Amino acid sequence: MDAIIKWMEKYFLPVASKIGGQKHLVALRDAFIGMIPATMAGSVAVMINAIIRDLPPQFFDSYDGNSIPVIRDIITINGYVWNGTLAIAGLIFVFSWGYNIARAYGVNELSGGIVSTAATLAGIKFSFSGTISGLNLDSATVDAINQAGWAATSSDITANAWGWIPLNNLDANLFFTAMIIGFVATMIFVKLMLKDITIKLPESVPPAVSKAFASIIPATAALYVVSIFYYIFAKLVPDMTFLEWIQKTIAQPLLGLSQGYWAVFVCALFVQLFWFFGIHGPNVLAPVLEGVFGVAQVTNVNLFQQGGADLVIQEGYKWVRGSFDAYGWYGGSGGTIVLILALLLFSKRKDYKTVARLSIGPGIFNINEPILFGLPIVLNPIMFIPFLVAPVISISIGYFATALGWVAPVSQSVAWVTPPLLLSFLATGADWRAPLVTLVGMAVAFLIWIPFVMMANKLDPAAGEAGEDKQ
Amino acid sequence: MIEINVALQHDQIIELLNHYNQDGVTFSFKEKKGIHLYFETNSEDLEKACKIAKEAIKKQPWGSVLFFQVNPVT
Repeated sequence: MDAIIKWMEKYFLPVASKIGGQKHLVALRDAFIGMIPATMAGSVAVMINAIIRDLPPQFFDSYDGNSIPVIRDIITINGYVWNGTLAIAGLIFVFSWGYNIARAYGVNELSGGIVSTAATLAGIKFSFSGTISGLNLDSATVDAINQAGWAATSSDITANAWGWIPLNNLDANLFFTAMIIGFVATMIFVKLMLKDITIKLPESVPPAVSKAFASIIPATAALYVVSIFYYIFAKLVPDMTFLEWIQKTIAQPLLGLSQGYWAVFVCALFVQLFWFFGIHGPNVLAPVLEGVFGVAQVTNVNLFQQGGADLVIQEGYKWVRGSFDAYGWYGGSGGTIVLILALLLFSKRKDYKTVARLSIGPGIFNINEPILFGLPIVLNPIMFIPFLVAPVISISIGYFATALGWVAPVSQSVAWVTPPLLLSFLATGADWRAPLVTLVGMAVAFLIWIPFVMMANKLDPAAGEAGEDKQ
Repeated sequence: MIEINVALQHDQIIELLNHYNQDGVTFSFKEKKGIHLYFETNSEDLEKACKIAKEAIKKQPWGSVLFFQVNPVT
């Protein structure tokens, strides 16, 4: 084991540190974390609506929450909360992204956020267009519509208007465009700020004013560079915006790739591998877990708000960030709550039973440092195989149950400290089958842990002290 | 005394904390038991000492991805 540790420290940790400590990846992770006040508020709103609007019809056909006073009002209020949060998640993200990049470089964070937002929004749609065909309009109606500014013939009406931003340009669809354009614009801003190409005001001017003025040249330069890019892009690809092009060529293929079983398997396995060697798995894999699976989750939450679980199943993603928590990380990474149960039932080691008893309380809230370090699981050769295999198999059960349509996909953002079973129930929009799937995963994981707990009994010369003490 | 539970970088953490001396707080490595490192500290406020040790480790290039715990030992 010492040789493995030395190898890890010499080769593995530097690479993990480079990834986990890379300035821009850290800023990206922090950008997603910075959104939590909004995404959690929105998720609470969607979750309440899931319980009072979408759950009862699963059991009572005639139930319609929108026709019941008070319930109807609560649903409406939750709708407002959603409007200001998840409906515009991309807008919130792009500001957080620019803010965190600027902070990583030690320049004006507020201006960084503003530059990122302005640059990204500069290239989205500012108009809408829609056509209704198959009509039979008289000439007076056609003339009236044409005079009003829309285009009409006897069989069609085409509505065009400038000054309307489609909501699907501000929601999760904006994320990947924001990551690219927001990054470029903010970096131009940052570099010019660091080179001190700024307007300098006398010291007597209040700091807020002089800070804002200092940002003018870098911000203007960044916005013009990005706008020139949009102009050239529009010439080269006239039939879609940059956002639509990014969605088609990068976002959707990447998100599609994330939905394959092997992508989920590799993520789950590597998180466990990192944890076993004392490296923070989710931190290192944050660019994938938050940047890809997290984006998929926001999409699912919005789809749920618009059309419930059915719409998520039809148009959403099967596996998202919260799916790992729901089906594999009960009790904390590694699904350690079932290990605690296995220790209490099958371990004959006094030290293991003590650690298990101390770990129950935190484990219910998915905090497992006590057992990871207390047993320990970290760097404990006996625990290596079950710690890797049990959660991966449990996640696989959740994956295939979702893929086969036996349970709704995760479509809510639930705080990771929510107790197991309740977490999967809430995360799937109150799908009663989800805790059952989690329970099946937990049962299988429990069976995997048992032989290794019993093996640990045999390897400990002091096994049986608990029995002797009682005599 | 404080206890640091960590799987990797034992030598580096011992070196870091043995040479730490800011705001009058110092640490001295006492012993190692598996993944548990024990340090004596001159700080009477053990919670503060734990916080200082944690921040010092996190500031290292490898610190941000390291999974570790720092606890007071009474």
